[in-house]
Amino acid sequence: MTAPLEARSLSLMREGNAVLDDVSFSVAEGEIFALLGGNGAGKSSTLLTFLGFLRPSAGEVLVEGRSVHANVAAARSSIAYLPEAASLYGHMTAYENLEYFLDLAGRKATRSDLDSAFERVALAEEARSRRLQSYSKGMRQKTAIALALLRETPILLLDEPTSGLDPVAIDEFHDLVKALASSGQTILMVTHDVYGACQVADRVGLLRRGKLVGSFAAEPGRRIDTETVHAAFAEREAA
Amino acid sequence: MLRSLTRELRFLRRDRGALFWLALAFALSVIAVSFGIAEVREQRATIATLVEEDAADRANALSTQQDWGGAAYYAFHLTYEPPSDFAFAAVGQRDTAPWKHRIKMLALEGQIHEADTRNADFGLVGRFDFAFLTASLAPLLLILLLYDLRASERTARRHDLLVATVGSPRSLWLPRATLRVLGLAILLLIPLWVGAMIEGASPGVVLQASAIVIGALLVWWLIVELVSRIDASPSVLLTSLIGLWLALAIVVPAISKAAIEAANPVPDGGEILLLQRETVNDAWDLPKDDTMEPFVEQYPEWREDSVIDEGFEWKWYYAFQQVGDQTVAPLARQYREARLERDRDAGLVSLLSPTSFVERAFEKLARTDAMAMVAYEDRIRDFHEDLRRFHYALIFPKVEYDAARLEDLPQYDPSR
Ligand SMILES: Nc1ncnc2c1ncn2[C@@H]1O[C@H](COP(=O)(O)OP(=O)(O)OP(=O)(O)O)[C@@H](O)[C@H]1O
Ligand SMILES: [Mg+2]
Repeated sequence: MTAPLEARSLSLMREGNAVLDDVSFSVAEGEIFALLGGNGAGKSSTLLTFLGFLRPSAGEVLVEGRSVHANVAAARSSIAYLPEAASLYGHMTAYENLEYFLDLAGRKATRSDLDSAFERVALAEEARSRRLQSYSKGMRQKTAIALALLRETPILLLDEPTSGLDPVAIDEFHDLVKALASSGQTILMVTHDVYGACQVADRVGLLRRGKLVGSFAAEPGRRIDTETVHAAFAEREAA
Repeated sequence: MLRSLTRELRFLRRDRGALFWLALAFALSVIAVSFGIAEVREQRATIATLVEEDAADRANALSTQQDWGGAAYYAFHLTYEPPSDFAFAAVGQRDTAPWKHRIKMLALEGQIHEADTRNADFGLVGRFDFAFLTASLAPLLLILLLYDLRASERTARRHDLLVATVGSPRSLWLPRATLRVLGLAILLLIPLWVGAMIEGASPGVVLQASAIVIGALLVWWLIVELVSRIDASPSVLLTSLIGLWLALAIVVPAISKAAIEAANPVPDGGEILLLQRETVNDAWDLPKDDTMEPFVEQYPEWREDSVIDEGFEWKWYYAFQQVGDQTVAPLARQYREARLERDRDAGLVSLLSPTSFVERAFEKLARTDAMAMVAYEDRIRDFHEDLRRFHYALIFPKVEYDAARLEDLPQYDPSR
């Protein structure tokens, strides 16, 4: 069975600098893969390459077994993307934003579809018909997550999904991600939150200066050990 | 495409910035069309008053005359070029070139060029009419509507999410831009259509004018599109586009106008007037044959009747008026040719600037271009020639004065 997401010997240059260097990994259907790394490690660039915004200088990325750059639009249609510091339209309400973006994706959602997505991300009811410019950072993040949910794509690419969320919201988000994975969605999330990654992921990859330098998998019935990953992360960063 | 258009229409309805520029375009168009209609109506009213007075004045002047010469001398004849039913959209040359002359049987060229003694001023921007709005301001509005379509989304860090969501960027930016261009075109055109209906302009002309407006916007859209490909911040894009606009809409037309004027010197209308006056004045002191010979060359049919024996005879007087015109004819021809030459050059150079092109196209449709004004002058010359033939036939063969025959005086017909 082909993996929904696969990077094969992926190398990437941005403005003359090597950003990714011979990175290979794949994410299986229903799996949560967390790419962990420090600032500038190349996490966001990896996601942008899967979305076809960046072109590999060597190797390739595949979505559902097909090379992304052979048909960018097809790859994008299988993916819901939550960007780093997602920003929706400030002059529109949460409802209007989601209606617009879903329309962009060619989907129609009823008011109750929108409401149930907002319930799942715990966006307060009174806020939903307010303009986003009056939102806090976390509320905006929740709105963007709700959008990713409503896309109902086989694949989710999440860039720092918990940034701006309060601890309760983070826990709820982790539960949500696990539920999505168990319903079959394939999830690649990138983060520098070691604890969060270990909490939620089936597998954690450690990215350092564009190189994949470590990989940790959860044992059946046990989560990945935070201490181990943290030690590896700190050691590598210090090196 | 239809689906993405309706989506973007809903989006546009919430985009206050875009709505502001679109509303401004509509308001400016209403103002330009109203100005144009007011101006055209004023010109028509002026002409109507003059037409009304013309016959009465002439009847009044003729009623006290005793001979053909006096009748020819004292009667004024109104000539005029009424504004076309589309002139409201492009006042054009009617702003600077005269569109009415009261002429007499005297030497003509001086009368035509009298109004030209003050040089038409060298304006960078013309009158605020619809042609000016479409040619000069609409491109600026289009730039403001389109320049940061992509760049603003980049700045807001929304670009990648938008494009990742829509899949193919074309199905986002194309409908977004199309709606803005279409909205601008329609909002500019609605006042024009209403104005054309009020003025009774022909549908063919209105159709052509609409096509010009849309074509011009498409050209500017292409320019904006090409410049926006540059990966630069919105403010850099805006600065570049406004620079381009200044160059294409203001600087190129102004420089080419100056260059064309320098390359095709037009004799001063005042020179024609002066030379003619001198010729006519000098004729009083010249031997009469010096006047009658060149006259007869032009009108051999009056050779028999062209012998002047008394001190003053009307036919001698009108002959030297005629010779006055013959003397300045080369200068007048040069003046006429140079203006047509300038116009031809301007036509070629207008291919360099969409603004000049649109203005010229509108002036042509509205018949307010240099050609139309020269054609009006030619009509005056033809009419004056009719007057001459009518009067010469009475003055030269010594016909008995009979006021009733003056009822057959040629009438100026602006549509001829
Ligand atoms: N727009 C860009 N143009 C050129 N180089 C870029 C651009 N964005 C990022 N980079 C470079 O690419 C490298 C990887 O950046 P990337 O954004 O992928 O890192 P990251 O792991 O997501 O970091 P962070 O945790 O800070 O989000 C960095 O060296 C960065 O300087
Ligand atoms: Mg990042």
